[in-house]
Amino acid sequence: MRVLIQLRPSPDLVAAVADPGRSATTADVADGLPGVTLDPSFTPVAVPRPVPSPGGDPLSLNQPLDFSLAAEDASVLVRGEISDDEPATRVALLPTLRPDVVGVFADPVIESNLTCGGDAPVGDWHDVERLLGTSALRAEGLDGSGVALAVLDTGINAAHVARHLGRGVNLDAERSWNPAGVAGRPGEFEVDHGTMCAFDTLIAAPQASLIDIPVLLSSRTGGSALDGLLSDAVAAFAHLRTVLEAQPAESRSLVISNSWGSFSPRWDFPPGHPGNYSDNAAHPFNLVVASLDRAGADVLFAAGNCGRECKDGRCAYPDRPIGGANSHPRVLSIGGVDTEGERVGYSSQGPGRLTARKPDLCAYTHFSGSKAFGEGEPDSGTSAACPVAAGLVAAIRTQWPAARLSPSQLRSLLRRTADDRSDVGYDFDYGYGVVDPAGVIAALRRRAKRVA
Amino acid sequence: MVLVTVRLPPGATLADAMERLGLSEEDVDTGYGLVLIDPDQGLYGLRVTEEAGHRTGPPFSDPRIEPYGPG
Repeated sequence: MRVLIQLRPSPDLVAAVADPGRSATTADVADGLPGVTLDPSFTPVAVPRPVPSPGGDPLSLNQPLDFSLAAEDASVLVRGEISDDEPATRVALLPTLRPDVVGVFADPVIESNLTCGGDAPVGDWHDVERLLGTSALRAEGLDGSGVALAVLDTGINAAHVARHLGRGVNLDAERSWNPAGVAGRPGEFEVDHGTMCAFDTLIAAPQASLIDIPVLLSSRTGGSALDGLLSDAVAAFAHLRTVLEAQPAESRSLVISNSWGSFSPRWDFPPGHPGNYSDNAAHPFNLVVASLDRAGADVLFAAGNCGRECKDGRCAYPDRPIGGANSHPRVLSIGGVDTEGERVGYSSQGPGRLTARKPDLCAYTHFSGSKAFGEGEPDSGTSAACPVAAGLVAAIRTQWPAARLSPSQLRSLLRRTADDRSDVGYDFDYGYGVVDPAGVIAALRRRAKRVA
Repeated sequence: MVLVTVRLPPGATLADAMERLGLSEEDVDTGYGLVLIDPDQGLYGLRVTEEAGHRTGPPFSDPRIEPYGPG
């Protein structure tokens, strides 16, 4: 996290900072604060000391005050960044290690122009193709050929996807699956959220074979239109286990894209209850996710649309909205950036509920793509970012089945090669950064040489 | 309805699970059936009434899930 650090250096340094005719740099004032990456581009700022009237309370700011910039009174602010992993520890330890540190304060982003729900598209899917370097992926033979890519959502309308992509779509009807009670044929569902997700997977992996699983069309007691129940997702994952195990071990590849989650703790048992889902790795769905990972599947989940700046109206977790499988240690949890690389304001921030370091990565969203919601409406939400990332994973799997690169190794590779959006590694806005296919290709080339 | 889990040998059926847990057809979502959660552990899941879940327990939540978009 970005921080402002208040220091009280020697009076001559304070005087140099306070004097507009002189110059003092961050290095002059605070070189080498342990655990802090200082921003040398920030010119230190002198902070006046509040001085109560004679006889006033020296500890209160709620009284008439004067402010002194005298060298013996004033302090100095510098700017830096500390790891999101340890803000509390670092803030507590800094003053003990460096007595000149008198305070550490948050330095929040104050821009107000983040993309939010309802905003117009930022770029289109050809921009996403360019950002994903799809021509370079194809030059490496990474186009999703032979890779099974399951979209668990509201069902796919393959004709709509093909029309808007301007190319054919491989729909694997045989391995598609409906929850009990859901009518409809694979690839022939109404154009909706699932069609958007399918379109977005094919940006990076145009030759992948789509497995259509309309898990959000549950008709069970407790569900409603365009909602599902987690039990249907348990059954869907059990089906996908059979799909995976039917593949030859040496060429197994199955990518599972999930742009859904549970918005409200009211729908769950309370945290601490042994049957709770959102905070409990022992819930059957979280177990089946771990089981699929162990069997060789790549599982991706959207991080959710509960970002602080413009959260979805359904968000009901007061904090830590990335819960359940969306924060599972064996999945890639995907946040969203627009095509200019800025986090969209609704993309959920970590820490996650099952695993603190969530989201893992960001991928592109809020672009003009599938037109599933009408002309001029973007493919949006972390719902779009997740399948964009799933398409990249499917592209990689073309040449790198799970036997060559395990799901765990692939997650590490994506995290390690991500375009870090902070100065000190992981952060709860972007995770390890934005997916970087060029970095992935370079790393895979090195790996291929090593194992040759 | 809630989810419950049960350990059974490979190839188990819903009838096997109901017998092991002492459940009747009124207790169980037979349309959902018996779902293999983790073959390595022999762990299966089934969907039952809340009352049956508390009886055979522990009951696991079966929350609604919704799409994460459009944003």
